[in-house]
Amino acid sequence: MLLEQVEYVRPETVGDALEILASDDGAAPLAGGQSLVNVLKNRVASVDVLVDISRLAELSSIARTADGGLSIGACVTYDALDRSPEVRASHWILGDVAGHIEDQQIRNKGTIGGNCCLSDPTNNLPPILVALGAVMELRSRSGERSVPAADFFKGYFATALEPGELLVSITVPPMPEHSGAGYASLAVGADAKALVRAAARVTLDEGGTTIAESCLVLARVAHVPVRDAEAEARLSGADATEEAVRAACAGVADGMQPIADVHGSSEYRRQMAKVMARRAVVQAIAAARGSRNGSTAGGK
Amino acid sequence: MGERGTSHSVTVEVNGEKVSRIVAARQLLVHFLRDTLGLTGTHIGCDTGNCGACSVIVDGKLVKSCMILAPQVDGSTIETVESLAQDGALSPLQESFHEHHGLQCGYCTPGMLMSATYLLRQNPEPTDEEIRRGIRGNVCRCTGYVNIVEAIREASRGQATGRRSAHAAAGEEV
Ligand SMILES: Cc1cc2nc3c(=O)[nH]c(=O)nc-3n(C[C@H](O)[C@H](O)[C@H](O)COP(=O)(O)OP(=O)(O)OC[C@H]3O[C@@H](n4cnc5c(N)ncnc54)[C@H](O)[C@@H]3O)c2cc1C
Ligand code: FES
Ligand code: FES
Repeated sequence: MLLEQVEYVRPETVGDALEILASDDGAAPLAGGQSLVNVLKNRVASVDVLVDISRLAELSSIARTADGGLSIGACVTYDALDRSPEVRASHWILGDVAGHIEDQQIRNKGTIGGNCCLSDPTNNLPPILVALGAVMELRSRSGERSVPAADFFKGYFATALEPGELLVSITVPPMPEHSGAGYASLAVGADAKALVRAAARVTLDEGGTTIAESCLVLARVAHVPVRDAEAEARLSGADATEEAVRAACAGVADGMQPIADVHGSSEYRRQMAKVMARRAVVQAIAAARGSRNGSTAGGK
Repeated sequence: MGERGTSHSVTVEVNGEKVSRIVAARQLLVHFLRDTLGLTGTHIGCDTGNCGACSVIVDGKLVKSCMILAPQVDGSTIETVESLAQDGALSPLQESFHEHHGLQCGYCTPGMLMSATYLLRQNPEPTDEEIRRGIRGNVCRCTGYVNIVEAIREASRGQATGRRSAHAAAGEEV
């Protein structure tokens, strides 16, 4: 397809990229291009200059933070996350979720930063990043700021990014002791887009029998990932058993008005959210007990 | 900083040959390969990143060439389906597609072959499950995939006999 006329530039430093983004309203960062190129084909957004950030070394590394967490460059691809021994060692689930996005071609190009900045409600990474308590590190010509993932996703294709601002990296805190994460999706076919997803992180007490604390995030129920605080409250102090989790998850999404679309009604999504939440929490408990932090067994 | 503009000079190595061209920033890699370089082995199907017919290998990574702009690949090494056969002899993978009837109309085949080539480099002895995941991004409307999976599996086991390629190399009818 012939795209509209557009300028392209590949800056050599993040500073140069920020300069162009600040000085030109029509400039947009080009990361993996796995959404933006289609946006250009469909002409749903008009871009005057594509600022190719995908080869910037500063945005492409995965580093261990001093406290044992991860600092992941915005342009790290899904495939790199999937294959990273660092990611697998401390946040196994993040590699696993990334390794089940769509297909190999898309995983070789798509980036963690692009996946978040697009804020497509069907994207796989936002809910798990919210559950893991990730922080988005933003930079513009005028400075830097950190925004928790929970506050970054503002709506359907909308984020906290200001014009001229770039997501440079994502900081993922270390998993506390006795904790694990889970991720469950209702999808038709392996690695497909999901109707409903749940991501969970739980911390067990020392004995491993009771849930001390949890974070339960639902996706595709609203246009952004949402925490179910009521379910989290029911989970705290509950036995770390499937029956107790089932009981605590029976009321998941009850206070919410899930979206309805051609893929599922509001009520169907509510019921499925309960099932996905239970599966994600049960996985998280198993992961907390096992050596692997954040293992998953179910659909992605 | 690289030049900013609506056209760019691009130098790439395609199937072992170095080429330089001036391209429009808006040109898709698939059109650069097919229209500018005349390498029509790479097909274009959906033009939306869904079908995989346009799959090629750029710097060792399998990608969909309809989802990349030509200026993005400056300095890269590109492999297309034309790189597989050597001196008129089909590669063992191509041979296996032929023997196991891994194609009907052939529209998806260039992309399937590149996805399978990439998969077998990463994982020389894939399970059927791994083969299916490896070609998940490639749609085939004809075969029902069974014979494609079989062709890739048998190629991975070195089961293709190479009969056809030997004949083809000798210029014989097959
Ligand atoms: C057929 C198909 C199926 C797909 N299925 C799935 C799926 O099931 N699940 C899923 O999660 N994704 C899926 N994707 C989308 C894919 O994951 C994209 O890679 C992702 O949405 C965007 O990431 P990107 O790196 O390609 O970004 P781009 O397409 O380059 O950019 C996306 C947007 O984010 C902006 N942006 C990118 N990086 C930054 C940054 N660092 N700072 C500020 N702004 C930035 C861009 O300007 C643009 O507006 C699919 C894509 C295709 C083509
Ligand atoms: S033509 Fe590129 S994926 Fe279909
Ligand atoms: S052989 Fe016809 S699409 Fe695959």
